[in-house]
Amino acid sequence: MADRHRLYRALVRLYPRQFRRDYGDDLVQHFGDLVTDRGARAAWARTGLDLTITIPRYHLERIMNDHRSTTTLNIVIVVLAVGGIASFFVDAGLSPLLLIAAGALAVTQRSALAQALRVPDTDRRHRRLRIGTVLVPVFPTLWSTFDLWVDDSWSIRETLVTIVGVLALVGAIGFLIAGLATPRTPDRGQLADAG
Amino acid sequence: MAQPDPSSFLPLPQAQFHVLVALTEGERHGYAIMQAVEASSDGVVRMGPATLYGTLKRLVDQHLAEELARRPSADDDQRRRYYRLTGLGERVCAAEADRLAGLVLLARTNLRPGLA
Repeated sequence: MADRHRLYRALVRLYPRQFRRDYGDDLVQHFGDLVTDRGARAAWARTGLDLTITIPRYHLERIMNDHRSTTTLNIVIVVLAVGGIASFFVDAGLSPLLLIAAGALAVTQRSALAQALRVPDTDRRHRRLRIGTVLVPVFPTLWSTFDLWVDDSWSIRETLVTIVGVLALVGAIGFLIAGLATPRTPDRGQLADAG
Repeated sequence: MAQPDPSSFLPLPQAQFHVLVALTEGERHGYAIMQAVEASSDGVVRMGPATLYGTLKRLVDQHLAEELARRPSADDDQRRRYYRLTGLGERVCAAEADRLAGLVLLARTNLRPGLA
């Protein structure tokens, strides 16, 4: 019995931290009550499906609702896009799937992304533009240094360099667009005029 | 402070409505809410633990339900957290019940005019 509780408690750790903190003990106690009342098989039948559905759902909700997680969302989209592009070059076959996932995430979360970008913040604008500017030369530099795509033979090193280069390229474009889209913080005179 | 309009919460997700209805009978802890939902739906609605506590979290966040600071009685399990409806929760639950009742009436009228 304790082992079953331990396994469930371990699975509860897959939920977002805040939800786990607020309701982790309740979930485990609830599961224990289910095992006591209806037996382990019935308890797992119910909680297995529940875990499968709610773990990704609550993570997605956290990403959608938490403004601080917009950076995480951006990173996930970029990683998926880069993975899709890299997969195309190494013929891993996952390219369409990863690119569709990146596109779907960007489209479905566009309001959260746009909302985060619309917040006026001069420092953030400068930081985004600075990071984008630093990343711009990475891809051409890697390309010229390692003579990528000059023949069909691919080594692990070329694959890794390509992934890093494409990651930098996508990141540069993303940061430059985000930087340009981030308004400057209005100065006090503008705020007084608006008030 | 002005209370939100109950109709602004409608339509309620099915899980939220079931939990609110379970709480109309009084304060309950999570496991008792799950049992009440099953009983009221003849076993059709079976909530898993995370679905239930996720729903409770949303209801508490929206001030439709609240956690009791103290257990209803000394006999109750002190480890459990108990929940009850707020005034707003009662009004939202009633508004959703009225909305669904109107919908049921319309369906019955259209499908079986003689029984409406």
